[in-house]
Amino acid sequence: MVKVYSQANSYDYPFPIVTLAYFLRYPNPFSTHVLSTDVLDRTFDPITQRLHTTRLHLKRSKAPGAVLKLIPRSFVGASAQGESQAYILERSTVDVKEGWMKTESRNLEWTGVLSVIEKQMYHATRTPSTADSSGKLGKSSSSLDDIFKDSSNSKPPLESFAFGTDRTTDVTTMVTLHSTLGQRFKRKQAEEGEEKVGFFRSWSQASLQRSIEAIGLRRTSKSQPNAVEGMKVVLERLREGGFANVLEGMRRDREQALGIKGKV
Amino acid sequence: MSASLAAECNEVKERYDTCFLKWYSEKFLRGNAQTDECAPLFTQYKTCLNKALKERGIDKMLEDAREDSRETDIEYMKPSGKS
Repeated sequence: MVKVYSQANSYDYPFPIVTLAYFLRYPNPFSTHVLSTDVLDRTFDPITQRLHTTRLHLKRSKAPGAVLKLIPRSFVGASAQGESQAYILERSTVDVKEGWMKTESRNLEWTGVLSVIEKQMYHATRTPSTADSSGKLGKSSSSLDDIFKDSSNSKPPLESFAFGTDRTTDVTTMVTLHSTLGQRFKRKQAEEGEEKVGFFRSWSQASLQRSIEAIGLRRTSKSQPNAVEGMKVVLERLREGGFANVLEGMRRDREQALGIKGKV
Repeated sequence: MSASLAAECNEVKERYDTCFLKWYSEKFLRGNAQTDECAPLFTQYKTCLNKALKERGIDKMLEDAREDSRETDIEYMKPSGKS
């Protein structure tokens, strides 16, 4: 069985700015659980003008109590309080000529319990009067300069970020939740020729998987709006004061996150 | 800037990130990029990061996870969805 969460929304910002915010989205006030972000791989193809990026995020996560009731703690690598860390692998491709960005994020651990794959497609909202893309690229030059200037260049108007006439960016998000719990265990058991899983026998495998997927779906429905809010904060900071403002905001968020972590 | 999972790589990561953001907004987003100008800084950052990933055993986890996700993908493709 597989459960799917899907959502469509749009940001009132031009596509290039949204892609920039995507790379800059951590830390933000809605992401205090994100501990680190690293770039594992990045390739630029000068012919297609596409940029491929692979990043690794480390997030603090709390295994939901409902899950811990279903399966042993050791299975999800959680402490007695259910605290654990989760690595997320994120792949993205940006095509600036065609005006789209594709992303895919998946959890790296306890995929045997629940595999969560988030796919997003961003694209510039097309308006009927829009010129061809080369025209748009030309017009954007001055606006992007403004973003990179320091805070002394205060508050450029939103229009200065404009990228042709595409002022909004559409996003579709699809999260697939798939539990294979028990399957791998059975496989392992068969390989080892052992009989030792009274625990799994007490549940039908399929109903256990469905329960885990349902819990994952509830969590996703709660966390997705926060991800959108986080992006909006970063976009707002870019609009108000460019990079310098984003970096300053990040510094504050990081201090706050560390403060929260210190208290736990 | 976001932190690296390895504190010892933060400095070189920040230098790389700064270079990347400048290149991304000034060249890439305008369709003017010829090459990835930050590649040398990325190599430095990668050297630090790879060492840290290895020390923490994350490199193996990444490999395993990639293997696992291939397996999961194969299972998805099965007509019945059952093993």
